[in-house]
Amino acid sequence: METRQFKPLPDKPAPITTAGPIAWLKTNLFSSFFNTLTTLLISTALIAVIPDVFDWLFFSANWVGTTQDDCVKDGACWVFISAWSQQIFYGSYPVSEIWRVNLSLVLLAFVITCSFILPVHLRNKVSIPAYLTLPFICLLFLEGSYLGLEPVSTDLWGGFTLNVLIAAASIIIAFPLGFLWALGRQSPMPFARSVSVTCIEFFRGTPILALFFMGSVMLPLFFPADMSVDKLLRVWIILVLFMAAYMAEVFRSGFQAIPKGQYEAADSIGLGYWQKTLLIIFPQVIKVSMPNILATFIMVFKNTVFLLVIAVPEMLQVIMSALSNSNWLGGHAIEGYLFVGFTFWVSCFSMSLLATSIEKKLDTSHQN
Amino acid sequence: MFSKKTTEQIKLETRPNKIAANSFYNNPKYRGWIYQAFLALFLIGFFYTIVTNTLDNMAAQGIKSGFSFLNTSAGFDVLMTLIPFDTTDSYFRIFTIGILNTILVSIIGIFFSTLLGFIFGIAYFSPNFLIKKIAIFYVEIFRNIPVILQVIFWYTIFNSLPIARESINLGDSIFLNVTGLYLPKLVGDPGSAYVYSSIVLAILCVVFLRYWAKKRQENTGEQFPVLPTSLAILAGLPLVSLFLSGVPFHFDYPELKGFNFKGGITVIPELMSLAVALSIYTGAFIAEAVRAGIQSVPNGQTEAARSLGLKESKIMSLIIVPQSMRVITPMLNSEYQSLVKNTTVATAIGYPELFTVFAGSALNQVGQAVEIMFMTLAIYFLINMVISFVMNHFNKRTQLNSR
Repeated sequence: METRQFKPLPDKPAPITTAGPIAWLKTNLFSSFFNTLTTLLISTALIAVIPDVFDWLFFSANWVGTTQDDCVKDGACWVFISAWSQQIFYGSYPVSEIWRVNLSLVLLAFVITCSFILPVHLRNKVSIPAYLTLPFICLLFLEGSYLGLEPVSTDLWGGFTLNVLIAAASIIIAFPLGFLWALGRQSPMPFARSVSVTCIEFFRGTPILALFFMGSVMLPLFFPADMSVDKLLRVWIILVLFMAAYMAEVFRSGFQAIPKGQYEAADSIGLGYWQKTLLIIFPQVIKVSMPNILATFIMVFKNTVFLLVIAVPEMLQVIMSALSNSNWLGGHAIEGYLFVGFTFWVSCFSMSLLATSIEKKLDTSHQN
Repeated sequence: MFSKKTTEQIKLETRPNKIAANSFYNNPKYRGWIYQAFLALFLIGFFYTIVTNTLDNMAAQGIKSGFSFLNTSAGFDVLMTLIPFDTTDSYFRIFTIGILNTILVSIIGIFFSTLLGFIFGIAYFSPNFLIKKIAIFYVEIFRNIPVILQVIFWYTIFNSLPIARESINLGDSIFLNVTGLYLPKLVGDPGSAYVYSSIVLAILCVVFLRYWAKKRQENTGEQFPVLPTSLAILAGLPLVSLFLSGVPFHFDYPELKGFNFKGGITVIPELMSLAVALSIYTGAFIAEAVRAGIQSVPNGQTEAARSLGLKESKIMSLIIVPQSMRVITPMLNSEYQSLVKNTTVATAIGYPELFTVFAGSALNQVGQAVEIMFMTLAIYFLINMVISFVMNHFNKRTQLNSR
């Protein structure tokens, strides 16, 4: 007797009204009368605007050349950016010495990479000293006179690399200071606590521009008359204090996220205050507050542009002085500002994506 | 590896060192006092050095100290003032003008950034793909570009507008050109006091109505249509009194006289670019806060509300919004405060707010950096304290309402 075997027919594809591009269009763009109307309105507006914008930005833009006369087409004059690119990125730093700036950036990238890829037992011993000495090494290296290199005055430093380096140097030094303030803020010692709170609230409540201004007009009064402190150094001090205040608040929220049991466990195995804080609490605080630390860094990195108000030649300041250069009086402001905006947008947006991914990766909370 | 130590050795090692444990410096309380004494000494030394250095430096540079400069004549002009000003007026007048201009731009900025923030924050949850993407684009683009660049960018845009004769004309009443935005001004004639008082009366009525409706709902469970009624009162009472008193208002339209417009309200391009940039920048952060706030309300709340049989419109206003406000309000508080602090970027384009006009121009002339910075910072702290107070009050209310 012949056995009959059940043979299922091949699956039918889902009806086009529930899957596929048509269904997607229907649910996301044309789900109701009002939705269809807005979709049509927005698409019309976009179709009207986008071709012109792209044409100005790319297709009829001027890409090659060295002087303003090379900008013959009606689009954007990107020649302006390429002609000034060296100043935009390095300020007036001598051309023959630019490798020093690049090497500092490479060193920074190297230290950051090391702190991620080093094995755990080496990480703290190598990375922390490397981070803390890096700003000073870079400072000596860029200035040069103490290392037997050609001295470069800090007035000549500038451009986008200055924005990056000063923000990085500030966060590195602000890290231990902010941690100390955060510890002070939750310490049981009343005087230490009030000092920490005053510092944090003062630097958080003051506009950064006012702080820079104080750094440029008030701070020189605080030093002895015979001691002249470099302007960039004063700006650095200000940025460190400003950032430390924000970091202290980040750390404080980190402390609050650590379960109380961790403190009690550390106490019960007999650890002292600093052992408990540095070995048990600190690593966990860093872990939970990593996204917020990055957010603070993004904020301060954006705020380095404010330095143009006290005439530090950072990126936007360079663009603005290039705009008033007599050879380039053709009104390239929009191109210049778009370029600065684009550079900062790319840097900040990639960092905020990084922060989001770290947040997701570190999310070990017991959610079900 | 297990220890090969004898019991005797272990006893010796783990025996508490009684002398050390009871000693003075091992007591956390005394230790704390010692640390704090060191901190106090350090601070005293630090401030002593700073103060003596400052006094020496000021004496060497011939800078006076004290607040007597406030009464002397300033001798420079200010671009925009809300109160009458003359170049012979005192520095204190300059200080007041600066504060008023700061408050003006802060209020405009807070209003429009909240509007933009809520529109784009809610637009994130739109079923329409394009609207959602536009909301994401707005937030991600504008929050990642330095605010000072945005201010300078808008200032450049407003400065490339056409001249007064070719100004952009909206219905012969609103004009936009390179010297600013010209709006018609509402001027009250005699008799307008009736209309003003009717507005006050309408507001009082609405407050009373809300109170009464709440009481009634608590007692009887019956709901009263508060919103339509209060809107009707707010619009109706002033309208009735407006027509009864014979429309005692007229518009003062800006008119082109010579090279520029006269009359109406003038918004200078500096104020416009600052307000636009701050609203857009802070609006992006507020949109993010609103999004986070709405996302923080668990989906179960919507489902529970539906299963109770609430209407979809009621779910949003009674269940989702009050709970999300708990998350949104503290974030709004810090965004408003940073907006006020960010008004200082006006100094890059020369809008005469407190920082530009007092810590900038006045400081340049007087040179008394310590006093002037102290006064300026005190005002920013004061404004932020007021914002914080109002928002914390609001926060408490939203928290109470949601429980």
